[in-house]
Amino acid sequence: MFNLFSLSWRNIWRHRGRSLMTAGAVGLAVFFTLLYLSFLGAMENGIYNNLTASVGHLQVRVEGYREKREFRDRLIPGATRVESQLAAQTQAQRVVALEIPALVAGETRSRGVLLIGDRRPPPLRERFIKQHLVEGDLPQEGDLEGIALGEALARALKVELGQPLYVYAPGTEGRGAGVYKLVGLLRFPDPAAEARSAYLSLAAAQELAAPGSATRIELHFPFTRYAQDAQLGVLQTQLAQSLGPGLSLESWKEASPAIAQVFDLLTPLVLIFAAIFFGLAGLLVLNTIYLGLLERTRELGVMVALGAGPAQVTRMVVLESLLLCLSGALVGAALGLLTVAALSEGLSLKALFGETIGAFGLPEVLYLSLRTQDALVTVVYTLATGLLAAWWPARVAARLEPVEAMRFTA
Amino acid sequence: MKPVLQVNSLSKIYRVGSIETPALREVNLSVHSGEFVALAGPSGSGKSTLLHLMGGLDKPTAGEVWLDGVRIDGFSKARLAHLRLWNLGFVFQAYNLIPVLTALENAAFVLELRGEPRETREAKALRALETLGIQNLAHRRPNQLSGGQQQRVAVARALAAQPKMILADEPTANLDSKTGLALIEHLRTLNREQGITFVFSTHDPRLLERVDRIVRLEDGQIAA
Repeated sequence: MFNLFSLSWRNIWRHRGRSLMTAGAVGLAVFFTLLYLSFLGAMENGIYNNLTASVGHLQVRVEGYREKREFRDRLIPGATRVESQLAAQTQAQRVVALEIPALVAGETRSRGVLLIGDRRPPPLRERFIKQHLVEGDLPQEGDLEGIALGEALARALKVELGQPLYVYAPGTEGRGAGVYKLVGLLRFPDPAAEARSAYLSLAAAQELAAPGSATRIELHFPFTRYAQDAQLGVLQTQLAQSLGPGLSLESWKEASPAIAQVFDLLTPLVLIFAAIFFGLAGLLVLNTIYLGLLERTRELGVMVALGAGPAQVTRMVVLESLLLCLSGALVGAALGLLTVAALSEGLSLKALFGETIGAFGLPEVLYLSLRTQDALVTVVYTLATGLLAAWWPARVAARLEPVEAMRFTA
Repeated sequence: MKPVLQVNSLSKIYRVGSIETPALREVNLSVHSGEFVALAGPSGSGKSTLLHLMGGLDKPTAGEVWLDGVRIDGFSKARLAHLRLWNLGFVFQAYNLIPVLTALENAAFVLELRGEPRETREAKALRALETLGIQNLAHRRPNQLSGGQQQRVAVARALAAQPKMILADEPTANLDSKTGLALIEHLRTLNREQGITFVFSTHDPRLLERVDRIVRLEDGQIAA
């Protein structure tokens, strides 16, 4: 025995070919939306992890440090005390860094560099090594003699592992100069960064330029997914209140504003593209539903004559549109889920786009997965398409006059 | 006795641009409960128009339509649909069954619109098909039925909803004379046994011999 639901279902399959094509268009829209959204999610997480691993989730700096030209003005007053205070307040891992503008020279050449002395907890040190070290080692904590250079910088200075390097840090409060042994070569996605980066241990950097000081304290929280970033705002507010005057606590977005801006554009862009897909599919749905109504005008007239009210006719048309959309959406969703599952083991962007991929802070491998909000967006788009495509035909059908409709010949 | 259906000074004029075609002029008619009434007359005499106006399918240009003591000619579209759903049954000349539904489902269609539970509507529809002797065709689709069988399903659709009155517009026009007569006999039996009021239009003189009352129309007016 039928009901309005099964009648609508049977109605949409009267023209199998036409309905299959329309449902297929909705299915494609769903498929691509799911794929794009899961791609976006993986991309967001990848960029988030890359960025937060290199700059921390939060950073303590001297307030207005970007405008300060003098090295000593960038030093965090009482850095050791600030670090202890943060250690007492949060479980986050800390990276303490001292960045020094310096001159590094080999036997024949010299270059101006940003010399970074840092102390990283073992997991972050391992990650840094895995990502950037290509040869040798990174100076160990407390090592006062070793230095690691970007590969491009080493080439420019014409130095090799084991050879001495002369470092000058004029105008600072430490020794001001020192001789170090090249112990490691580093590679960075950004060629400019590779040509001007040199790494010491924190102890060596402090001895060279500013004993007991730091210019940056990074806080690394165990957040690996961008969705967790919402918690960061609360932590930032709490921790910032406890810092003394003259210090600022920046989030990774504030520390890397250009990338953060691109980051914020990703979701709206994908949503706009998805809306265009669904819009085109919706036009097909509208066409199919309207043609179906036109062909059944006489039949609709009979229904109205028998007592179907405007609300019932509207409901039937809307139901037909929704069923058409949902049947296509189910197939599209199944295909989308299978594709996402197949790519969940990792999609190598490096293999697709080459080495340059890392230069933009993009992850080398994407691990696609579907988030609740992706499924929700797809469902909302599908339902909205079904409802919007049904609006006009439903309006026309609800206004049919039974006598005129029964006289109608298509 | 109060009539179940009454029309007073009913007129209908069709307008296409500036051209006016009067279809009914000042028609007065009363139908009492349990009557079996035929509207007779040649094509274009206004039979169908009168039937449509009496059933709330169309609005008159002037005049009144009363159903069960309630004036319905000013009702809104939704209210008229509700009125037809709960009070009237319709049988059309071209059967007008829904092709994607079986005979049983077609017979249950009005009950579905009323929101009756599945078991009730199935039982009522089956009973209606039995009354018309076509219960063995219950699971066939309209395209698997002959014209006479389709028209009996259409009658079953009107009957299953147990309306106060069934309005039929030339129900035998598309049937051969034998099938047409058999159908009219069925309607007459239903009228006698169940007391259902029937008003139908026809121009078949043989059918007119079987009715209680004949209302003859000519040029949109009731002939003297």
